[in-house]
Amino acid sequence: MKLARRLCSLLLSLLVLSAAVFWIARLAPGDPLVSYYGQRAERMTPEQRAREEARLGLDAPIHVQYVRWLRNALHGDLGVSFKYKRDVVDVIRGRVSNTLLLGGVGFALIFSMALGLGLLCARFEGRPLDKILCKLGTLSSCIPEFWLSLLLILIFSVYLRVLPSSGAWSVDGGGAADRLRHLILPMTVVVTGHLWYYAYMIRNRLLEEVRADYVLLARSTGLGRRRVLLRHCLRNALPSYLSIMAISVPHIMGGTYVVETVFSYPGIGTLCYESARYQDYDLLMVLCLLSGAVVIVCNMLAQAINEHIDPRVRAAAAERAEADGHG
Amino acid sequence: MTADADRAEKLLDVGRLSVTFASPAGAVEAVRDVSLDLAPGEILAIVGESGCGKSALCRAIMKLLPASARVQADRLAVAGTDIRGLSERDMCALRGRLCSMVFQDPMTSLDPTMRIGAQIAEAVLAHEPGMKKDAVRRRVLELMDMVGIEDPPARYRLYPHDLSGGMRQRAVLAIALASRPRLLIADEPTTALDVTVQGQILDLLRDIQRGLGAGAVLVTHDLAVAARAADRTAVMYAGRIVEIGTTEEIFYDPRHPYTWGLLASLPSLAAEGRPLYAIPGMPPTLSPPPKGDAFACRNRYALAIDYDQAPPLFQVSPTHYAATWLLDPRAPAVARPVGGELHV
Repeated sequence: MKLARRLCSLLLSLLVLSAAVFWIARLAPGDPLVSYYGQRAERMTPEQRAREEARLGLDAPIHVQYVRWLRNALHGDLGVSFKYKRDVVDVIRGRVSNTLLLGGVGFALIFSMALGLGLLCARFEGRPLDKILCKLGTLSSCIPEFWLSLLLILIFSVYLRVLPSSGAWSVDGGGAADRLRHLILPMTVVVTGHLWYYAYMIRNRLLEEVRADYVLLARSTGLGRRRVLLRHCLRNALPSYLSIMAISVPHIMGGTYVVETVFSYPGIGTLCYESARYQDYDLLMVLCLLSGAVVIVCNMLAQAINEHIDPRVRAAAAERAEADGHG
Repeated sequence: MTADADRAEKLLDVGRLSVTFASPAGAVEAVRDVSLDLAPGEILAIVGESGCGKSALCRAIMKLLPASARVQADRLAVAGTDIRGLSERDMCALRGRLCSMVFQDPMTSLDPTMRIGAQIAEAVLAHEPGMKKDAVRRRVLELMDMVGIEDPPARYRLYPHDLSGGMRQRAVLAIALASRPRLLIADEPTTALDVTVQGQILDLLRDIQRGLGAGAVLVTHDLAVAARAADRTAVMYAGRIVEIGTTEEIFYDPRHPYTWGLLASLPSLAAEGRPLYAIPGMPPTLSPPPKGDAFACRNRYALAIDYDQAPPLFQVSPTHYAATWLLDPRAPAVARPVGGELHV
C-alpha cells in the first residue's frame, strides 16, 4: 500500500519533469538540425530545412510533439540520438557503467572517509588534531576542481609520467589494472572536492549530540567518551547523515560531470553536457528523467532508512497512517 | 578519632571548591569556596536560584564539567577517594559505582533512539562487561521494578518517547542506580515534572536511598522539595554557600537574610489578597563577582561592611552555619521576618 503510493508519486513527478524538460529544451535557442546533419545544415535551403524538420517531427506545435513522445516512450521507444544516430538507450548503455564506477566508488569513498574524519574531529574536539584537520579540510574544499585536475595531470602525467591523463582505458585495453590506473586521478579530484564538506557536516552534527543531556547521563554511569560517541551520538546523528547522503547523490553526480569533461572520461556527464549543448532532444530527455528518478528514489530511500533507525520518525509515521485509516 | 579517620568516614568531602569558566566576557566564577560534606545514608539538599552554581557544583563532583572549566579545591573526595588528580580513564571506572547522577529533564536525558531496557542494560554492563545476557536482563528487570516501573517485561522494549515524563525519570533513576552507586547526585530531578508526579519521584528517591544506604545530594530551587526529602539543607547564592544546617534549622531557625527572603516568598506564607513576596533585584553577574557580600545590594539588612568584605561562615550550632555579618557580635540586633513559629 505504502509502496504503491510512493510508486505513484514517483511516476507523477517524472511526468511533470518530462513535460518541463521537453518544453524548456525546445524553447531554448539552438538548431537541432546542426546536431543531426552537422555542417551540412547550415547550407540547407529553407525548403530543405522544412522537409527535414518534418521528417524529424520538429514541425508540429510543442504539445503535439510532447504527446507523440509520451506515447512512444510508454511503448518503450525512447527515440534516437540526433548526434549518434542510434537508439538513445544504446548510447547511454555504453556510458553508464563508466559513470557508475567513477561516481559510485567516489560516493562510497567520500562518505566513508567523511564519517571517519568527522568522528575523529568530534572525538578530539578543540585539540590540535581537530584544529589541523579543520584547517586542511577548509583548504581542500576551496581548491577548484578543474584547477586541481590540471595540476594533477601536469604532475602525474606530464612530469612523472606514471598515470594516464585522460580516458577510461588504454587503446589496446589492459584489463582491470588499466581501468584502475585511469580512475586514480579523476577519483582523487571527485573525492577532494566533496570530502570536507560532508566531514565537517557530520563533525558538527556529532558535536551537537555530544552536548545533549543523554551524553551526560551515559557518562555519569561510567561509560567512556569514545563509547558514548560511537554508541549514542553516532546513532542519533546517523539518520540526518543518511538523508544528506541521499540528497547529495545528484550533487556529487554533478561534480563528476566537470571531472569527466576535464579528463575526457566517457561517462554520462560528458554525454549530458553534449546533449544539452547540441539540442539532442531525445537523449537529453532520457538523461534528465534518469537523473530525476535517481534523485527521487534516493530521497525515498533516505526516508525509509530514517524511519528504520529513528523510532520517533517511525512513531510519527504510524500515527499518520492510523489517522488516515480512521479518516 | 583523628581527622583522617573522620574524613574517611564521610561519603563526600568537599573543601574550598571553586569552579571558573573561561568565557569571551572574562572568567565566570560559578562556584566560589564551597565546602560541604555528606555522611552515608544522608540527603543534603542544595537550594538556590537558577545560575547560582548548583549544577556546576554537581558536575565538578562528577568531574563532568566541559574542558573550558577550571576546578580548584583543597579537598574533593568521594567515599575516601581523592578524585582531584584522577584522569578521565580513572574517573570512568569510578563513575556509576562511586557516584552517579540524575538530571533535570527526563525528556532529553535518555537516548531517543534506544529502547529503555537496552539503555539500562548498558549502564549495568558499564562496570561488568562480562555479564551473561540473561543475568543482565534479570538485573534490568529488577532495577525497573525497584524504581516503580510497572510490568517491566512489557516496558523493556519501549522507547523513551513511549513513556510519560514520570516514567522516564524512573528509567533515568534505574540507569543511575545500575552499578549500585554510594553517592547519588540529583540535579533538579523533579523540576520538569507535574506536581503530582514530583512527590512520587521524591518519595521514591528517598526510599531507594534509605534502602541502599547511599548518600544523596539533591539540588533544587524549590524549598518544598528540600523540606520534604532532605536531612540537611544548604542555601547557595552567587556561587557560595550562604547557609547550611539541618533542614529543621534552615526552616525553623534561618539566620541569613537570603534564606529569610526565600522562605518569605513561599506561596503558602502569602496572606490572602496580598501579592506574593519577591526578593527585590536580580542575582549579580559572576564575571567578576561583586566586591563584598554578593547579596548586599538586594539585602534590606545589609551593613556597611557587606559592601566591602564578604562575610565568613559564622557557626550558629554544631551543624548550622550562616555567612552573614549579622551574626557578628558587633552587629546590631535585627528582628527576623520569618522563622521561629514557621511550619512548612
